[in-house]
Amino acid sequence: MAVSSGAIHHDVEDHIHPEPEGFIRKYIFSIDHKVIAFQYFITGMVFFAIAGLLAELIRAQLLKPEGAIMSNAAYNGVYSMHGTAMVWMVIIPLVTGALGNFIMPLQIGARDVAFPWLNMLSFWIFPVAGAILFASFLVGAPDAGWTEYPPISLQGPPGTTLWCVAIFLIGISSTLTGLNFMVTVAKMRAPGMTWTRMPLFTWATFATALINMVATVALSGALLALFLERVFGVPFYDPARGGSPILWQHMFWFYSHPAVYIMILPAFGVISEVLPVFARKPIFGYRLIAFSSMAIAILGFAVWAHHMFTSGMAPWLQLPFMIMTMLIGIPTGVKIFSWLATVWGGRLHFSTAMLYAMGFLVTFTFGGITGVFLAAVPADLHEHGTYFVVAHFHYVVGGGAVMGFLAAVFFWFPKATGRLLDERMGKLGFWLFFIGLNGTFFPMHFLGLFGMPRRYATYVEFAKIFPMAQFWNIFESIMSLGMVAATGLLIFNVIYSLKWGKPSGINPWGARTLEWTISSPPPYYNFKKIPTVLGLPYNFDQPLPYRNLDNEQDAIPVPMTLAPPRTAVGV
Amino acid sequence: MAQVSAPRKFSMGPYFWTVTAVMTFWNIASAIWIAVTPLDYLLPKSSLNVTDRGADIDFLFRFMSIFGNAILTYVTGYVIYFSIVFRRRRDEPANTVGPQIHDAPTLEFWWTLLPTLLVIALAVMSTRVWYLVQYGTGAPGFAVEVIGHQFNYEFRYPGLQGSVYNEMHLPLGRPVRVLVSSADVIHSFWVPEFRLKADTVPGLVQNLNFTPQVAGTYLIECTEFCGLNHSEMQARLVVDPPDKFQAWLDGQKAKAQAGASGSTTAVDLAQSDAGAGRTLFTQKCAACHSLGGFDEKKVGPGLGKVFVDKAHAKLVDGDDPTKANVAHIIENGYNGPLGAMPSAQQNGLSSKDVADVTAYLASLK
Amino acid sequence: MAATTVAQPGHDSADDVRARYENVDHAYHEQRENRLLGFLLFLVSDVILFSMFIFAYCYLRNSVPNWPPIVEGGRQLPRFDVNFAAFNSVVLFGSGATMHFAMESWKHQNRQGFFRWLIATIVLGIGFLGGQAYEYGSLAISWAGSTMGATFFTLTGMHGFHVFIGVIFLCVLGLQARSGVYTESKYFGLTAGTLYWHFVDVIWVALFFLFYLW
Repeated sequence: MAVSSGAIHHDVEDHIHPEPEGFIRKYIFSIDHKVIAFQYFITGMVFFAIAGLLAELIRAQLLKPEGAIMSNAAYNGVYSMHGTAMVWMVIIPLVTGALGNFIMPLQIGARDVAFPWLNMLSFWIFPVAGAILFASFLVGAPDAGWTEYPPISLQGPPGTTLWCVAIFLIGISSTLTGLNFMVTVAKMRAPGMTWTRMPLFTWATFATALINMVATVALSGALLALFLERVFGVPFYDPARGGSPILWQHMFWFYSHPAVYIMILPAFGVISEVLPVFARKPIFGYRLIAFSSMAIAILGFAVWAHHMFTSGMAPWLQLPFMIMTMLIGIPTGVKIFSWLATVWGGRLHFSTAMLYAMGFLVTFTFGGITGVFLAAVPADLHEHGTYFVVAHFHYVVGGGAVMGFLAAVFFWFPKATGRLLDERMGKLGFWLFFIGLNGTFFPMHFLGLFGMPRRYATYVEFAKIFPMAQFWNIFESIMSLGMVAATGLLIFNVIYSLKWGKPSGINPWGARTLEWTISSPPPYYNFKKIPTVLGLPYNFDQPLPYRNLDNEQDAIPVPMTLAPPRTAVGV
Repeated sequence: MAQVSAPRKFSMGPYFWTVTAVMTFWNIASAIWIAVTPLDYLLPKSSLNVTDRGADIDFLFRFMSIFGNAILTYVTGYVIYFSIVFRRRRDEPANTVGPQIHDAPTLEFWWTLLPTLLVIALAVMSTRVWYLVQYGTGAPGFAVEVIGHQFNYEFRYPGLQGSVYNEMHLPLGRPVRVLVSSADVIHSFWVPEFRLKADTVPGLVQNLNFTPQVAGTYLIECTEFCGLNHSEMQARLVVDPPDKFQAWLDGQKAKAQAGASGSTTAVDLAQSDAGAGRTLFTQKCAACHSLGGFDEKKVGPGLGKVFVDKAHAKLVDGDDPTKANVAHIIENGYNGPLGAMPSAQQNGLSSKDVADVTAYLASLK
Repeated sequence: MAATTVAQPGHDSADDVRARYENVDHAYHEQRENRLLGFLLFLVSDVILFSMFIFAYCYLRNSVPNWPPIVEGGRQLPRFDVNFAAFNSVVLFGSGATMHFAMESWKHQNRQGFFRWLIATIVLGIGFLGGQAYEYGSLAISWAGSTMGATFFTLTGMHGFHVFIGVIFLCVLGLQARSGVYTESKYFGLTAGTLYWHFVDVIWVALFFLFYLW
């Protein structure tokens, strides 16, 4: 996959399609990956706000052991929709559809993705699927969690059928996006960009696309069977009719475990881009990080049954899954150490993106450690189905994927819009989010270990054996408001900065990947001339490793001096 | 060209080794503390070793906590340390770079090898405890069946004709095999103090093998979403010394032979206590019944006017609304067009309880 | 691309032509590679979809002591009839062969041959679907009555649906070929159609083994 033979026509300004005309073609039914990315961003943020509101309803309910604000039935629908929406309508679309779509083609020097029309189709399925999902509130929301285990999901409210349809649809969107990105990265890199000269966010996107393409279809199968059983009575899962509830769990988790790697790998990619830029040092251990992303993607398919240790599957199966799950911690740990080594010795600029990246190192590591606690079967037999699990996954998703996503927003917003997000609001938002996240989810570890099960609308009996139960739940609910405030601030920041943000110029951060060599925002065709790539983009004391750039920038890009100051706290 | 910081003797950073030493000292000290301190504030009744597996399982928690704490300390510590020590100085130009290091093979080797060794150690340790927990030692123990229902637990004992609801008894010091299954959807059987959990799955049976070592009353909780009242699905587990346990089991057998589902007699009704009934209503009935009129349904109809509602002059089974007839429905449950209500036995209500609830409902106007 | 690949006497040197030729063909070649990879990946994902249901079938079959399973009333369901299915399979595999010949004809610029073999493929495909419909009608088991019915009808139904889509796909390709969309050097659509048709055949090999022979 080295330099293309057709060097002749890459110098010529051909292959640039005429600019789309009209509001509809430009902004509604656009095939431009940048516009599509923005559409994913808006839709994803709307669903993030809704799912976040559902979370606050959960926290309000748990203020009292007997349940503060709603019936069990309502609560069951609320928490199920919170989880479902966050996984499929927020995190996955945002990190793949928004980040992957915007950044990856620019980073590889392409003018768009391999199949732009497919990209547009993938996007438009998303709001439709989301609407169908939330419409289930009108007919009785699905109530058995985002995991919807049969037999209870066979009995569930009509919304459960809508849930099947909505997730099936978003699955099609995901699979097509994965396919699109894989072909784009494999085939459309600029001349000279070998696999080992690819930026790490692109590596992450490729690994994610691989998982997306292979795993999502597995879920589609499980959902189709559940739909057929609910609607037509076709027996797959009902044990009274020869089916097996464990079958659902195998099929569901075969997708849903790789799904968590879909959520985190792009965040890993973001961290790998942000840390070098704001430390003014190369990423440490480029090859290890690139290859460990692929390793995690592939090994991630071999650990699914660690969600099923108590399920009643054959006991001997617990052993290989336990071992594999522990092993997968090693490439992840190596990455953390590599990121720390990237930061060591640098000249750190504490922009908001950098704050989120540094915060990520702490919260994601902690989430990863509790993952090891869950990997050990004898420990998991105690922890499964309790708030310990809830704490773990909120640390890795909230403290990992979301923080990586927020770092990306602050980092690439200037490229997408030509304006900087307000740094003061950003930093305040970071601290609100970081403190809120830790305050909400840290105590949950202890509540879980001491006996508080998850998916409980009331916790009267638990409160009798653990008198501080209500106190900690109230504490968590109050702290969760930090995350609410941070989200509100972010939305305000985005809207405000679109109009009044400081103009950013081409390269406000002094970064070195290809997207920072074209204007902010980029022209619709991205690159007038496709550049040639000569090396890795992570050396900060050398000229840019590109030839044939649109903007002559042979000097080392200089990062803006970010006013105000450079301490993490913002003082 | 960018300005690289002035060359100086290679240093990890100001006070780097001091900070590392402090963190290492903290890690060693906390490791020792974690290794010896009772964990009762973290894992319920840890120091008592409630089952024969408890010590091994809690030891695994200690091991993981020691190394988890160490890793977290180093990562968080270095993040904070680097943030302070390597921040860009105000007087340096904005494009000052750090040392352009891409790799350090020796370092990378060690930081791959050491976690691998740690993971292997954890895997070996976990496998050992897993084997003990899963396959136990010795012959299968005294067998008790647990059957999950929506939303209570049914317990069946060898030699006992009927079932026991809501309170499970186990003999102290004898190996026990708990066979869990379900009658409807997936539930779970978990006793936090025992650290053991098994999902109750319809169509298959799972085993939990252990020996209870500490007498007392424990909480059984359902941890797998099972429907509307999942949050209210708990039971008591009582571990008795063998003679007390045998006495209890004999009592259960006697009750079974006497027709233990019992009938609420007129004597019970005459001596009933509406106040106790009110508490019972909140605990047992309020999840499905409101205290409003018939039409204020939750799962079942509202019961606030069951004795006085002119619009619903008959009870749901067609009888007149007398205390005896209401008690009869509570006693035996209901299965009909309006849905299904468990019997008193399934709800853990004794004959006296039924009478008390009836009296309470009668006291409502 | 407006540039021609034929040398105009007195105007172009051989180098000019080669440059234009490489320009034209290179762009097409790149696009074709992308589309081919994309289509293959799509087929991979489709294989995984079938694999999930095949896994479900194997799992469910393994979890009961008797297969065919014993349903309510104590009766054991009958096994599937191999003979008719074998005949129908030959029809389908035959259509794979005819599709292969169709492609070969096109590559050798034998348009007549191409259309003959394509029509044969479509006819055999429709024949297979007819055979499946007949089999469905004559079976004693129902879709919702047992896990055997559930897995059989769902898997063969999904496969039949794919054959149906394939038939439509081939008809569209035929119409496109008639109106000159494809040339002797650019015929990616036909390649995709052939790959899809062979994929449908391969899936059937697996299903035939799993339901009729096992």
